[in-house]
Amino acid sequence: MEIFKLETVVAMVDYIYDGTFEGLLTCVHTNYYGERANGIYPEADYQVSILTEFYKIVTDEEKAHAVYSGIRTKISEEALERVYRVHLSSHKEKENIILSYLRLGFKKGGCISSMHAHPVVLAMQDLDRKVSFEKVRLLGLVRFSEINGVLFCSIEPDHDVLELMADHFADRYKNEAFTIFDKRRKKAIFCHAGKWYIAAVDPEIIPDFEKEERFYQDLWKVYFENIAIKERTNPRCQKRCMPVRYWKNLTEIGIMETK
Amino acid sequence: MDNMLDKLKVLSDAAKYDVSCATSGVNRQNSGKIGSASSMGICHSWSSDGRCISLLKVLFTNKCVYDCQYCVNRRTADVQRASFEPEELADLVIEFYRRNYIEGLFLSSAVEVSPDYTTERIIRAIRILREIHGFAGYIHAKIVPGVSPELVNQVGLLADRLSINIELPTTKSLELLAPQKKMAAIVTPMKQITETILDRRQLSGVSYGNGGGYGNGSDYGAAYSSANSKGSYGGFTNLSDNGFLIRETGDEFPQGLKQQIQSRSGYKEKFAPAGQSTQMIIGATPESDRRIIKTSESLYKTFKMKRVYFSAYIPVGNVASGLLPSAMTAVPLRRENRLYQADWLMRFYKFTADEIIDEANPFLDLEVDPKMSWALRNLKHFPMEINKVSYEELLRIPGVGTTSAMRIIRQRRLSTIKFDDLKKLGVVVKRAQYFLTCCGKYYGGVAQDPFLIRQKLLPPENQMSMFSETMPTRTVGNRNLENPQSVVDANGNLQIGDGGRHG
Ligand code: SF4
Repeated sequence: MEIFKLETVVAMVDYIYDGTFEGLLTCVHTNYYGERANGIYPEADYQVSILTEFYKIVTDEEKAHAVYSGIRTKISEEALERVYRVHLSSHKEKENIILSYLRLGFKKGGCISSMHAHPVVLAMQDLDRKVSFEKVRLLGLVRFSEINGVLFCSIEPDHDVLELMADHFADRYKNEAFTIFDKRRKKAIFCHAGKWYIAAVDPEIIPDFEKEERFYQDLWKVYFENIAIKERTNPRCQKRCMPVRYWKNLTEIGIMETK
Repeated sequence: MDNMLDKLKVLSDAAKYDVSCATSGVNRQNSGKIGSASSMGICHSWSSDGRCISLLKVLFTNKCVYDCQYCVNRRTADVQRASFEPEELADLVIEFYRRNYIEGLFLSSAVEVSPDYTTERIIRAIRILREIHGFAGYIHAKIVPGVSPELVNQVGLLADRLSINIELPTTKSLELLAPQKKMAAIVTPMKQITETILDRRQLSGVSYGNGGGYGNGSDYGAAYSSANSKGSYGGFTNLSDNGFLIRETGDEFPQGLKQQIQSRSGYKEKFAPAGQSTQMIIGATPESDRRIIKTSESLYKTFKMKRVYFSAYIPVGNVASGLLPSAMTAVPLRRENRLYQADWLMRFYKFTADEIIDEANPFLDLEVDPKMSWALRNLKHFPMEINKVSYEELLRIPGVGTTSAMRIIRQRRLSTIKFDDLKKLGVVVKRAQYFLTCCGKYYGGVAQDPFLIRQKLLPPENQMSMFSETMPTRTVGNRNLENPQSVVDANGNLQIGDGGRHG
């Protein structure tokens, strides 16, 4: 991933940060007003090496805001949204891709969104697409179960798309109370009457909702099996559209496996 | 039949041959109690035939007084019969919807007693959904041929999309196979729907073509980019918090990111805001592809159809009549796929039916897609210089899609495009290379000869057979024989060498 490293390496200094979006923006700020970063990594995953020094960047709301509005005014709203979504990706070098993108953006301005052939823009575009695509995909692939009038579901997305999904369901189910639980990241959306928040969650407190409400689950399974045209069976296509890694949280698939 | 499970089994089984599952074409926030509609078209699952499941697709009843030869529900067929009660169907939709199994309802029906009787029952079911449950999700309702105009109007005010199946490409075939269905009974409600939609648009000051044209946000590709820019994220981490609360609704965040999708007052005031579509059976009757494409072109033009769907005929075990292909006949999936590609060219690439398929060759080339086939027949227009030609011309190059063409145009303003850039811009170079030059240089490596280029495009086993004189022109190897839904999903997302977003 040469291209994402600094053009001129002054000193080999890595930044480590708390993994939040604001933390990342603080790193960008420090990169411009302090020593330039060789690489930026979340503290939790950082591998200390004897060759590289590292600074721990403390998240600072003001600095983050400065960078935030800087991106908006000097580059574009579109770039800001893109940076935000890419930050939610699980790519190991996402911070460095974002940093290269912002360096380019602060130089070139809003036109970077048309520089499709530039490797950094291309990398951003690609990650952005993956995150956005997974979000859209999951809007369809979550399955709620009802327990005492509350709707529950679990997801295990590749990227941290939980919050991108919130507004959609909050509006759609504005008279419902529901929870979407990200098993992998141990956090959940709690939504009631159209308002939502995301909070860290101990998996223990999530009820075992898979066993509940057989009635509608069975109806759904019957529908799922009957709607397929057997003369056109095409499991390869089914798996390409709906990758197997999502299946374990899908109500309709269970019966097919145990049959 | 009282058991809900059995009813659902019978009435979904009977509905599965209806192709449309699209929910595109209407954006609506939750203006009722539950539900919303998203023009990006959300798929909820994929059945084992690879088709997207978005809507609960069921027949209201499969008790039919008609006897259409190609249909599993025809009066003379020996199948289990069932009907929903309007209330129980509405409940089912809501409970499925709450669990996020579905995006809405696609309600079709056989003709029980009479078209009007059936339609009144349908209206009752969707009225309960809309008015009692406050359902603001997507509803696609089928119009039964021969129904009275007042009822069409009522359904249109409740549903998002209406459809009446044209069934067969010519009046002659229809008379032969569906004697009780008169072409006039199909076309009259189609016309009524088109006119009502146009009238309402004029009243509300929206000219047709502005948000109404097909391809306007109705495909998955366009939906994709709008999903990108919708930015539904919450906002800044609440730093002052103890770290438990991560984000919440409408956290301070810029306006642009909170772009609200258009909301309408009342859960739905417009008449069929997602327009109308129709469906044609392919391969049950002898019509040529040219006939089919010409018919669908005129359906688009005359009735402003959002979509004309094709459904490859699957033998229904009714060979006695002698009018239909035997049960042993293979389902013409590849042909159906090619027809969808041709349809795509008309809707998004401004091809006319005559360009796609001429009288001399009334069937589509099964070896290469219709766009490639057109290019090979029209080499006089190629190679095109990628740095010069217009957007419309770029779209004519095989391997260049709408997305990659747009990118080429934008990138060109900043710098000259080099051959190596094409892949990054989303061009499928493998196909495009024979039809373009970059800064005057041609990279195709073979002469501009249709035969030679075709050789390069086909996989090895077909290249061999190309030299054999005996090979019938329409023989197809079994390569890539996919369910067309994999190429055209229910949202109309089709890839003809458009490597832009999906390839
Ligand atoms: S009207 Fe014709 S196509 Fe429709 S259900 Fe009855 S027999 Fe089948």
